[in-house]
Amino acid sequence: MQASPASALSTLADPPARMIDGAAMDYFLIEAVNALRVSSAVAAARARKIECDMVEAGLVPPPPPAKQQNPRDSASSTTGKISGPPDEDEGIRSRLEAIGMHVGGNFAERLCRDRPLFSDSLDVIKFVCKDLWSSCWDKQVDNLRTNHRGVYVLQDNAFKPIARISSWEGRQEALRRAKLYVALPAGIIRGALSRVGLHGTVVPEVTTLPQCTFQIKLPKNT
Amino acid sequence: MATTSKQYKAIGEDLWKSRTEKINSELFALTYGALVVQLIQDYEDYAEVNKQLEKMGYNIGTRLIEDFLARSSLGRCSDFREVGEVVAKVGFKSFLNITPAVTHSAAPPPSSRPSSAAQQSGVPGSSFILTLDENPLAEFVELPDEALEGGLWFSNVLCGVLRGALEMVQMQVQVEFLSDVLRGDESTEIRVTLLKYLEEEVPVGDD
Repeated sequence: MQASPASALSTLADPPARMIDGAAMDYFLIEAVNALRVSSAVAAARARKIECDMVEAGLVPPPPPAKQQNPRDSASSTTGKISGPPDEDEGIRSRLEAIGMHVGGNFAERLCRDRPLFSDSLDVIKFVCKDLWSSCWDKQVDNLRTNHRGVYVLQDNAFKPIARISSWEGRQEALRRAKLYVALPAGIIRGALSRVGLHGTVVPEVTTLPQCTFQIKLPKNT
Repeated sequence: MATTSKQYKAIGEDLWKSRTEKINSELFALTYGALVVQLIQDYEDYAEVNKQLEKMGYNIGTRLIEDFLARSSLGRCSDFREVGEVVAKVGFKSFLNITPAVTHSAAPPPSSRPSSAAQQSGVPGSSFILTLDENPLAEFVELPDEALEGGLWFSNVLCGVLRGALEMVQMQVQVEFLSDVLRGDESTEIRVTLLKYLEEEVPVGDD
């Protein structure tokens, strides 16, 4: 293979992507979730303390005695667990989604560098299903459904982030954890869409491991 | 059998090539950066963030060493100097695809017979310094002034990884950053100091 001056220059201008080990990334994500669990508890405790201080100082009226709890639609909240897990999971989930949005937005920018403008939102969704999915998770989406009115359902039958989840406490526990871990990928999709100009919502759903679906709702005028 | 530096580099290359799953390092850099930002927002205290990053790294390190030992056929290191070589040329290479330069604190003995080596590099207090000329964690990062003043070590997770991994192979070490290009220093340096060798026993759980 002869390296001509042109190809040497083009390597300088467009260097091959630097890679790191996939297993290291997996361990990192596991521990990141644990670290976020602790940090969100610390942040929540601090917020509660500030609120208590303000109540004591008479700056705000005391909160109503009934505990506010948004019933989440995930199955785990109906299994009679104490109120800790749903609230703390919400903190972790929102943090994971925020991190995902940052990653998705910036990464999509890098991926879109050489491609032409998107023709319509279906084009964007196809970009997500093919290019984004294969860059992040080494495969493409298995099934895409749409109602042609702004709702898209992406189905991946072996979603990489949750493909290897198992729990010594059994299938149900593994499923519960998987629902938490998919918050980061949902954020990545949402961030990528938002960076391209489509500000919608992405709701992940895991019913049987390792299959995962993402329901994307885009606003009506796009 | 003494393994030369070049041989370690070759082992590191082979291990890296044999890793089955690789991901784009930009994804990793972006995720890590967003995580650090989130931790800063939650703790509002840079020293605490440093501590939490190190703790996170410790947990990662305890898993990483198992992965490393399972995939490489390297045996026990004969002295701390060899530990530094393996960490820099094989460890970092097989997980992060970088090879930091390593500088040892004790002058290497002319022959590497264990008896003389133990005198120089097996003694608690010996150390090595890793100089990272490229840091995949810090790819798109610029630190704001308050982070600089607050004393944030952005890549502190690496210190924890080294501490956790080496503790699992019976070495208690102290790992700290000496300098970081993100802070405006000339280079990024991590010093690993051997505190003591641990007895083979059930490790005391933390917390």
